Amino acid sequence: MLKDGIMIDIRNVTKTYGIGGQTVKAVDKVSFAMGTGEIVSIIGHSGSGKTTLLSLVGGLTKPDSGSVVIDGKDIWSMDDDSLSELRNRKISFIFQFSSLVPTLTALENIMLPTTFGNYGKDVEGYARELLGLVGLADKADSYPSQLSGGQQRRVAVARAFINRPEVVLADEPTGDLDEETEREVIELFKRMNRERKTAFLLVTHSSELAGQAGRQLRMSSGSVLPFINTVSHRER
Amino acid sequence: MKTGLNTFSIAVKNLRRKIIRTALLFLAVTVVTGTLFSATLFISSMRNALKIGTYRLGADVLVVPEKYVSEARTALLAGEPTSFYMDRAVYEKVKRVEGVKQASPQLFIKPASFTCCYSVDVFLIAFEPATDFTIAPWLEKNLKKPLSGDEIITGREVPLITGDTVPFFGTPFKVIGTMEPTGMKFFDRSAFMTMDAAYTMAANSKANSMQPIDLDRSRISAVLVRVQDGYTPDRVAIRLEHDIEGIKAIASDEIINTVRKQLGGLLKGILAVSAVLWILALLMMGFAFSMMVNERQRELGLLRAMGAKRGYIFRLIITEAVIISAAGGIAGLAGGSVLLLAFKGPILSSLKLPYLVPSATVLAELTAGALVFAMITGLLSSLLPAISASTMEPYAAIRKGE
Repeated sequence: MLKDGIMIDIRNVTKTYGIGGQTVKAVDKVSFAMGTGEIVSIIGHSGSGKTTLLSLVGGLTKPDSGSVVIDGKDIWSMDDDSLSELRNRKISFIFQFSSLVPTLTALENIMLPTTFGNYGKDVEGYARELLGLVGLADKADSYPSQLSGGQQRRVAVARAFINRPEVVLADEPTGDLDEETEREVIELFKRMNRERKTAFLLVTHSSELAGQAGRQLRMSSGSVLPFINTVSHRER
Repeated sequence: MKTGLNTFSIAVKNLRRKIIRTALLFLAVTVVTGTLFSATLFISSMRNALKIGTYRLGADVLVVPEKYVSEARTALLAGEPTSFYMDRAVYEKVKRVEGVKQASPQLFIKPASFTCCYSVDVFLIAFEPATDFTIAPWLEKNLKKPLSGDEIITGREVPLITGDTVPFFGTPFKVIGTMEPTGMKFFDRSAFMTMDAAYTMAANSKANSMQPIDLDRSRISAVLVRVQDGYTPDRVAIRLEHDIEGIKAIASDEIINTVRKQLGGLLKGILAVSAVLWILALLMMGFAFSMMVNERQRELGLLRAMGAKRGYIFRLIITEAVIISAAGGIAGLAGGSVLLLAFKGPILSSLKLPYLVPSATVLAELTAGALVFAMITGLLSSLLPAISASTMEPYAAIRKGE
């Protein structure tokens, strides 16, 4: 069951790519909905369309057909500026790859999304708090090249919360992390979910992270297979 | 607390990323702006000097003996002292020619250095107070009195001050005033006396001077002409040459045109080099910014994912280009000025031309113009890459960068 009403509603979304003269359906007539504050995980083999689905949900790419509705608005009926504002205010991404800007320090990377909108005065204070939450308080002035892969991932995780998003779209967010750091990140996700009702759509291979999800979507060849309810697992 | 993170600071950090490439682009803009600025300033300076010079001359047409026309031009433009004479009857004929409003004779006398201790060549110019319309108004305005027979006024570069007495061809003259600088040696290195004083000086020179001067009252060097309203200097000059034999009438415009012709080749060369440099800089910057956008596709896609609008991405790329071009422009202005100062002397002496720094307004306009030009160069070169970067679909940009 969905919590508190629908926040994201994907209907019959299809996305195809032309690769080497062939058309590949990355996402094929996918429909699902997410409630406010819900945690949903997506699992599936490599190339099954998980990352493309995340980008469709986040408005990074336009579907060939179908609709993506966030907070009651079809995002592809918006103009580009409004869609950018929506991404800046309500959505955050954690990408699978290194996504830090190499010329900015860890602290500046975290603050970066706030330069695209009007945020409060104490952005830096909150950025430092987030840096502390991912255990990198002493790395504020370090550049990405001075950080390990895991540390970079943690900075990216911290950045995802600077805009106090309604939903975090995360692609393997704990991929580079050791077990202890993975647990800290999961704790951060749970805390944000609990305190701010932040929703999470997680692509993950981590059973521990997937275990936090109320529901699991399984993708295969661009299609979503029936839901698996994992609430009982989480409660257990 | 203020973040200090904004489009400008992010653009500066991006430029530091590839410091050698940034330095090369900076250098390209510096060279182009420096070349254009120094060339424009140089040409403007010479035009300015000519304008002031011809204005100072105060005449629309200068009538000189036909065979001495090149000496007359050199005297006017480069201020090289010279002596040439023609019959005074020319003056009477000039007065009667159609289109002539005013005419006044002058004498140009090339003396030796005037005392044992000075080595500056002073050009003696004698005018007729009764008809003169070039020096007399200055005297009236500044000294409130005409020149007497033993008085002279001097140009700014003559090493004499008011009150000094100096002999020319054995006749002492008292300096009663100094004219403001004009940038033209013709005026700045001249001493002005009345024609009556000049004839007396010539007559006495046989007895008083080791270098006597052979000049009687029937001789003059030139006639300065002011044309009537409705007549152009060119037309009157043609008519003068037609009506009076053995003379050459130089219209004031013609003086400028002569210089323009002299400058023409140089100007064309400078413009051609500047145009080639500009196109090269434009291509180089355009290519570099295209590369920059290509290299940073994923990063730009990430910025879009974080909520950066298309306009922001466009501004970011343009800001980077404008920072480089503004910095290069400023360096070009400084470099161009140094270059001009370094090579001004040799160029001017080979062209035999006067030089005068333009007014502060013109200088400010040229400086601002060069800076705007540099920034437009940056803007143009980054326009296409900026449009391309800002219109990329975020996910496509992120994937292309993978």
